Amino acid sequence: MPTPRHHLNRQRRRQALADQPAPAPRTHSPVGLLSEPDSAPGRRTAAKPVREARGAAKEDTAGGARAEETVAPARPETDRAGRRHLAPLVILCLLTLLLGGFAGWAHSRAGELRDDPARGNTALTDLARTSEIKGQTAAAVAALFSYDHADTGPFERAGKTLLTGRAVEQHRTLFSGVLSQAARQKTVITTTVTDSAVERIDGDRARVLVYADQSSVSTAGNGKAGGGKQKPKTQDQGVYAGAMFALDVVRRDGRWLVENIDTFGR
Amino acid sequence: MTRQVRASAGNRPALAVALVLTLVAGGFAAWEGRSWYAAAHDDSAAYAAQRDRALAAGEQAVQNLNTLDHRRVDQGLDLWETSTTGELHEQLVDGRTEFTSQVKTAKTVTTARVLSGAVTELDDRAGRARLLVALRITVTTPDSKSTEKDSRMLGELTRTDGQWKLSALGQAPVGGTATG
Repeated sequence: MPTPRHHLNRQRRRQALADQPAPAPRTHSPVGLLSEPDSAPGRRTAAKPVREARGAAKEDTAGGARAEETVAPARPETDRAGRRHLAPLVILCLLTLLLGGFAGWAHSRAGELRDDPARGNTALTDLARTSEIKGQTAAAVAALFSYDHADTGPFERAGKTLLTGRAVEQHRTLFSGVLSQAARQKTVITTTVTDSAVERIDGDRARVLVYADQSSVSTAGNGKAGGGKQKPKTQDQGVYAGAMFALDVVRRDGRWLVENIDTFGR
Repeated sequence: MTRQVRASAGNRPALAVALVLTLVAGGFAAWEGRSWYAAAHDDSAAYAAQRDRALAAGEQAVQNLNTLDHRRVDQGLDLWETSTTGELHEQLVDGRTEFTSQVKTAKTVTTARVLSGAVTELDDRAGRARLLVALRITVTTPDSKSTEKDSRMLGELTRTDGQWKLSALGQAPVGGTATG
C-alpha cells in the first residue's frame, strides 16, 4: 500500500525540484531530509514521505494528482502527529531515567563517603569540642583521683557529680583500699593530668587517653596508699607514680561525665 | 484536523506526567549531586583521614620499636629503621652495632602491645603530628621468665614521601624528682 504512493511522491518531488531550484521548502522539513538516506520501504518511513508529499503538493499547484492527495493525508496525519507528540515523551522518559540514575549513583557515593569511620570521629577535626573535652576531663580526673583525709568534701562531691553508670562502681573499687585506711594514715593524694589525647568523639560520647601523675603522702602509720595504680615503698614522704588510663565520657547537660574508667586490666 | 487534536489531547496527560517525573528526577539528581560533591570535598573529612593514617602508622611504629627478638636482631632493627625518620632514625643507625651486641648477650625477647593510642596534634600541611600511645611491653629473658611493664609513650611523627614515620619517641616523664 505505501509503496506506490511513495514512488509517486518521489516523482512529484523531483518534478518540484526541477521547477523550483531554490531549496527553501526543504529546510523547513528536516524530518523529510532525514528520511532521505533510508528511504527503503518499511514502517518507519511510511509516514515521512507524506510530509514531503505535502510540501511538494503545495509547490506543485498545477499537479494532477489531486485525488491522491485528498485520500492519503487522513491516516498518516494522525500517525505523524502521534509521533511528533511521542518524541518529547520519549525524551522526557530518557531524561527521567538518566537523572534518576545519576541521583541514585550520587546518593550511594555520598553514603559511602559518609560511612567512612574516619569521618564519624570528630576528634581534632572539631578543635573546640576536642579541647573542651580535654579540659573537662583533666579537671574531672584531678577532682576524682585526689584525696585529702583532712577535707574529704571535694572528693565526695566529685564522686557524686562527675561519675555516671559503671564508673561509679569502678571509682569506688579503685579507692576502696585507700579509703579504708585513709583516716588512720592521714593520706593525701594529689593527681594531675600531664598529657591527654582524645581518641574519639562521636556526638555526645568520647574516649580520652590520660597520663597522670599521682603524688601520695601518708603522714602517719604504714600500709598501702594510692589509687590502686601504685604501691608506695616509703612512708612519710611523697611518692610519685605515673598512671595511664582511658576514660569514656558522655555529655549530659553541657557537662562531660565519666562513664567508664579503663585501666587496661590493671 | 479533528483527529490530530484528539491525538495530541490524548498525549497531553502522559506528557504532563512525564514532565513532572523528569523534574522530580532532576530535583533528586541536583540534590544528591550536591550532597555527593559536599561529601567528596569536605576538608574536615580529609583531615580526619590524615589523622587516622597518622595514628595507625604511629601505633605500628611505636610497637615496632618496642619489639625485638635476640634471634632475629638484624631483621628487627631493619624494621626499626624503616619505621623512623629524622633524628631518631640517625640515632638508631648510629647505635646499631652496640645495641645488637647488647641484645645478643642479654638474649631477651621483647614484645609490645598497643593498649590505646591517640593523636594530640596534627599539622596536616607541615606533615607533623604528636601522639600518645599506651603500651604494654613484655620482656622474656633466657630463663623463660617474662615481665610486663606498661609504658606511657609520647611520639612525634613526620610525614616523608606521603608516609608517617616516627621522628621522636620517649616516655612521658613522671613529675617531681622521683621517676617511675
